Amino acid sequence: MPAKRKVSAPKRSAERCDAPADAADEFPKSRGIDVPSDPEESDLEDEDAVDSDFDAALREMAADQGFDSDDSETFAAEIDADADEGEGPEDADDDENEEGSDIHSSDIDGASSDDSLDGEADSEEADSDGDEGEESPLVRTASRSTDGQQTAVGDDGGDDKLGSELLDGEGMERLTIEDFGRDITAWKEYRKTLPQIDPGYASDSSTEEPANTIGNVPIEWYADYPHIGYDIDGKRIMRPATSDELDKFLANMDDPDVFRTARDETNQQDIKLSEEEIDIIRRIQGGLVPDAEFNQYEDTVEWFTSQTMKTSLSGAQPHKRGFVPSKWEHKRMMKIVRAIRQGRITRSAPKDTAPKYYDLWADSDRSAEAGGATTGGRRQRLAAPKQALPSHEESYHPPAEYLPTEEEKRKWLAADPDYRQRNFLPQDFGSLRTVPGYDRFVQERFQRCLDLYLAPRMRKKTTQLDAEELMPKLPDPRDLRPFPSTESLVYEGHTGRVRSISVDPTGLWLLSGSDDGTVRLWELVTGRCAQVWNLKETVYRVAWCPNAEVCVFAAAAGSRVVLVIPPELCDDQKRLVSEELVRAGFGRTGGGDDDGDDDSLPVSWDMPTSAEQAAGVQVSISMHRTAKSVAWHRRGDYMATLTSEEGGSAVLIHQVSKHKSQRPFRRLKGAVQHVKFHPTRPWLLVTTQRYVRIYNLMQQALVKTLQPGVKWISSVDVHPQGDNVILGSYDKKLSWFDLDLSVKPYRSIRYHTQAIRQVQFSSRFPLFATASDDGTIQVYHGMVYEDLNQNPLIVPLKILRGHEIRNSLGVLDCLFHPIQPWLLSSGADGTIRLWT
Amino acid sequence: MARLKKKYTEGASRTYTTRNRALKKLQLTLADFRRLCILKGIYPVEPHSRKRANRGSTRLTTFYYTKDIQLLVSEPLIAKFRQHKIFLRKLQHALGKRDYTRAQTLDENRPEYTLNHLVIERYPAFADALRDLDDALCMVFLFATMPTVSRVTKEKVDECKRLSTEFMHYVIHTHALRKVFLSIKGIYYQAEIQGQSITWIVPYQFSQQVPTDVDFRVMATFLQFYQTLLGFVNYRLFTAVNLTYPPRLDQALEDNAAGLGSLRIESRRVEDMLEAARSGDDDGSNGASDDEAGNAPSHDAKAVKARMGSLEAKMQAIVAADSAAPAYEAVGGDASGGDEDALQAADLLFDKQVVYLSREVPRYSLEFAIRALGGRVGWDRSSGGGSPYTENDQAITVQIADRPVQGHQFLSRTYVQPQWVYDSINARRLLDTTDYLVGQQLPPHLSPFVEYAEGDYVPEEASRIAAAAAGFEGEVTNLKPEDRDQHNSEDEAVADDVDGESADEDEAPEEDEEAAAGVEKQYQKQLLAERAGVTFSEYQQKQDDKPAAAISKTRGGMPKRTKAQLEEEDRERIAISMLSKKKRKVVNRARADTYKRSKDLNTMKTRKAEATKAAASAAKPGARK
Repeated sequence: MPAKRKVSAPKRSAERCDAPADAADEFPKSRGIDVPSDPEESDLEDEDAVDSDFDAALREMAADQGFDSDDSETFAAEIDADADEGEGPEDADDDENEEGSDIHSSDIDGASSDDSLDGEADSEEADSDGDEGEESPLVRTASRSTDGQQTAVGDDGGDDKLGSELLDGEGMERLTIEDFGRDITAWKEYRKTLPQIDPGYASDSSTEEPANTIGNVPIEWYADYPHIGYDIDGKRIMRPATSDELDKFLANMDDPDVFRTARDETNQQDIKLSEEEIDIIRRIQGGLVPDAEFNQYEDTVEWFTSQTMKTSLSGAQPHKRGFVPSKWEHKRMMKIVRAIRQGRITRSAPKDTAPKYYDLWADSDRSAEAGGATTGGRRQRLAAPKQALPSHEESYHPPAEYLPTEEEKRKWLAADPDYRQRNFLPQDFGSLRTVPGYDRFVQERFQRCLDLYLAPRMRKKTTQLDAEELMPKLPDPRDLRPFPSTESLVYEGHTGRVRSISVDPTGLWLLSGSDDGTVRLWELVTGRCAQVWNLKETVYRVAWCPNAEVCVFAAAAGSRVVLVIPPELCDDQKRLVSEELVRAGFGRTGGGDDDGDDDSLPVSWDMPTSAEQAAGVQVSISMHRTAKSVAWHRRGDYMATLTSEEGGSAVLIHQVSKHKSQRPFRRLKGAVQHVKFHPTRPWLLVTTQRYVRIYNLMQQALVKTLQPGVKWISSVDVHPQGDNVILGSYDKKLSWFDLDLSVKPYRSIRYHTQAIRQVQFSSRFPLFATASDDGTIQVYHGMVYEDLNQNPLIVPLKILRGHEIRNSLGVLDCLFHPIQPWLLSSGADGTIRLWT
Repeated sequence: MARLKKKYTEGASRTYTTRNRALKKLQLTLADFRRLCILKGIYPVEPHSRKRANRGSTRLTTFYYTKDIQLLVSEPLIAKFRQHKIFLRKLQHALGKRDYTRAQTLDENRPEYTLNHLVIERYPAFADALRDLDDALCMVFLFATMPTVSRVTKEKVDECKRLSTEFMHYVIHTHALRKVFLSIKGIYYQAEIQGQSITWIVPYQFSQQVPTDVDFRVMATFLQFYQTLLGFVNYRLFTAVNLTYPPRLDQALEDNAAGLGSLRIESRRVEDMLEAARSGDDDGSNGASDDEAGNAPSHDAKAVKARMGSLEAKMQAIVAADSAAPAYEAVGGDASGGDEDALQAADLLFDKQVVYLSREVPRYSLEFAIRALGGRVGWDRSSGGGSPYTENDQAITVQIADRPVQGHQFLSRTYVQPQWVYDSINARRLLDTTDYLVGQQLPPHLSPFVEYAEGDYVPEEASRIAAAAAGFEGEVTNLKPEDRDQHNSEDEAVADDVDGESADEDEAPEEDEEAAAGVEKQYQKQLLAERAGVTFSEYQQKQDDKPAAAISKTRGGMPKRTKAQLEEEDRERIAISMLSKKKRKVVNRARADTYKRSKDLNTMKTRKAEATKAAASAAKPGARK
């Protein structure tokens, strides 16, 4: 019979799967156990099953007993096994598992039926002790009862025992329904005498003691009520009376089972745990399988083994695909085959065994021998510059003087790495073993790599010019003597700035005009002041008449120009000639211009006062504005004056012998700085702020305009030969013009550190000088050659220093001696100096 | 009417092309373009007018020669790059599909390229390659000491090690090493190979820190080219002196960190080949065919010795017959050009020396340097295997040590510090060892690369060495520190103020003109005094009241100028004023340069004086104790 069951197990599970879930839940075991029975009996069974499950079970049992009384043990075991598989929480689980997978469920079934086999064997021994030993934990749990009912249960158990004892011990045979035949009532009577059978799990769970069914309601909700939950009639289930704490305590002290008692709040009962239950708890706590009997390491049952069974478990034929070669594999193979045929897949080329390095330049050597070009006509590459080689400071043990000071170190550390002059800090490690690794080595190599491929290259022509080579090849100044080089005399006496000086044509006398309103006459070689004229106004200009026959000078003081014949200076002969020249004009009536526009000229020729006449002042020419400049024509008859007047009337030309004045320009552009007669030609040089205009007085036309390109011209002088002009400016520049060449300067020289006040040629020697506000006088050699192809030679010769700077004014005027190579200069310090 | 000419069709805009235009033309990514530029040696250029080159735009861009880019178009490497790109894509695809067999096949057939054609293209003549070898050597020597990290593979490092060792062997073999300099960055070597000076730097042998701010891809690209270059150069150099290339690697020695000794340098001279031909068929086929497959197996010291003995007579006949082949005397003794006369005594400086290296000295450098100058070297076992001498060997004449205290000292040898070797090489003669004995304070180590121009500061040691080289020993014309010291002590009374004064001068260096103005002022003062009737002696005394100023004048470097000098200066200034603006600038710059140099010179001199003074004062109290 067990073997039969075993075989039927998978079949049953299959049935179950087929059956609807609720139907299967009803009474699995009635269909599960394949109990052979009469059709009659089964009818009865069906009939009773409708009435009561319990009766059905009972009848079944009775039927079993009736058929197989020898197998009573087997029957009991079967019941147990059924209980194993039967209803209850575990069973539901089983069902779920079964639905999950067939194999698994069959496995479980198998296992449980094995259990049942074991149980059978056990029951044979334990029959005399009752069925307690065989009870599975689940059965035990079901038979567990509350405290109150314990006795009842115990009674049941006792009855049970009693029953079984009665049956076994007395050997009295239990009657079956068959024995009664048709007498149903008798059977019923008899049945009443039979002991009660513990239904266990074979019966419905409704047979159990009704528990309080409050559901999931938390028990605290009933804390304030005298009852807990409701019974089936809606009546309150009252709380049982509770003893006070002391009683509880005493009860606990008395009760030896207090440690195994737990409180069921829902039912308000104390539950006493059995030994097995405690054992289960212990096992759970210890992380073991709760069931003590469960063997985790059972022998494997090979349901599906490699060993071929005589008869297979299933009758299904093996699938065809197990014998037929794979189509897809074939496809893939064909793909490869095709690729090989088409040559897409080739055998990997044999590894190159040729030497890695060989004589790469063999061919180039041959072509070089043949004289072929190596570059192949390509652009010449710019080779990257090599890295600079290290100097002493990079040494691990440099000389002490190459080590940086503390401050240099600090500066180096503070500086941005890109702006450091060196990328390392010189250091002295006394010996080689103390030298550490250089931590920026890789970075520096990397930087070099970046330079090689990212830095633009450019062929840069650097002129390795020696400064000495660039210096102009100037002749030695010592070869260009004579020129003034030392200060030899100082004329002191003026109390204001000496604005102007002039030397008489004989070279013996020196005139000076100053801000203190005086004109002084000096004996040039001794420095004696011969005479003083007090003109009471600033003397801007003094100028000897260049005519050597006469002895007259003009002085511009304030708004008038006076003509003076110094009385002590000349002999009678000369005096007569001079006086004739100067005073002849007074005889002429009108004294003005022939043109008839006399009135419009801002000039009047006056007789000076008698006191002045006594001092030698012969004529006074009054103007409307301050007279700034006086320039004599080389013949000594004409004289040009410049006033601060605006327009054409600023420049006037006077004829001394006739006391006649004329205005050469109706209009003049710009503020006129200077006027000067050309030494050889009938030209007048009018200097405005930016330009020098040269007019031809005979033709009354503009000859040319010199454009020095300076901001403010201060002074002009013309070379005695007349072809070259020098020009000084307040912006420190000296310009040399060659009139034959261009209207732009031939040479501009900037040496002075302050404005140039005066430029002067020497009339006799190839010299010229510039006087400046920086207190110096610069003497140059300025040679003009007869050969027109040869450019003038300009050589700076000497810087003369001596004048003091007052109110940022230095040397105001300078002048070459007409005969000697001497220079005279006057300054803002009120002195006049002679340089020889 | 003539046809209007289109703008930017000729001239600078055609000559130059911008980087972006180049990328577009070449259809390359920037990374590939850069790699290509590195390998091909194409560099950006700076046009004369950026605006004209960039079609009127003044944006900052990089320019290349259009012809260079044109040249790149036909570069076979570009195709290789593209192949590699496709290969990578396929590999990624296969890996993504987990088709590992395919990935493996792909990887086995990964496209490879060589740079051989680029070497010959960039350096059409061997001399060009030698001229550009500096960077290659620096890089290869650096990577030979690199740790293997993700970007630097072991193969690369091993290859670099091998190439660098081969090159060193060549330098040793031809005694080409000329200068060595121990810098704080590393060791500089300079060798003269075929008339070219080649300088390279080797880092000190510590494990290199692999920095994070360095793009190793760039370095790797450079390295790739440099390795190829150096390989071919080595081949050429080795074969030029009749050595087999590549030299055999002795794995056992290599594993034992023998360094230079791990490579077997073998000759492939005429008699060797003849010998090979004579000895048998097995060898003959090899020896005649090729060099590197060559005669390796027959090379034993024993065999060579035997051969040398037997072949002595035969050689004469062979040499006579083959006049083209130069005569050699000994195995390893053959020179670079083949002429023994070229080898001067200075190139075999350590010829008679047997040097033993203590374990604390850098063997990798000293072994190379000493062997390159003809010496024989042994070393401690802890610094590598393969040493031909043990410490107890009686043949050892010099032991290099860097520890102040030595254990057992042999009386037969001199114990010197490593700097002696390097200074001797740079001086090209064996220096006196007294200054370099173990435990001595070493003399300063000077750079051999410095060449002194007129007016440069020459350190005392350099002048001493130069004087010694010129032939006379002893006193140098330079002021000895002792003399200076005495001089200092003489005017110590005034010297106290000096420091402050000179410092002032340093802070506010007088401009040329200002100095002149100062002198002028002084001159004027003298004139005034003269006029006031003060006699010269009185005037002088008055001046002496300010001695510090006077001393600072004389000691600050600018000596007191005489009247003639002043006049000369005046003339010079006048002459400068005569120059055109352009020339004046040049002259002024030159003058400023001269002035700066003279100032630097003075600074160095004063520092030197201070240092010697400090050293003397430090020595004195020690003497007292």
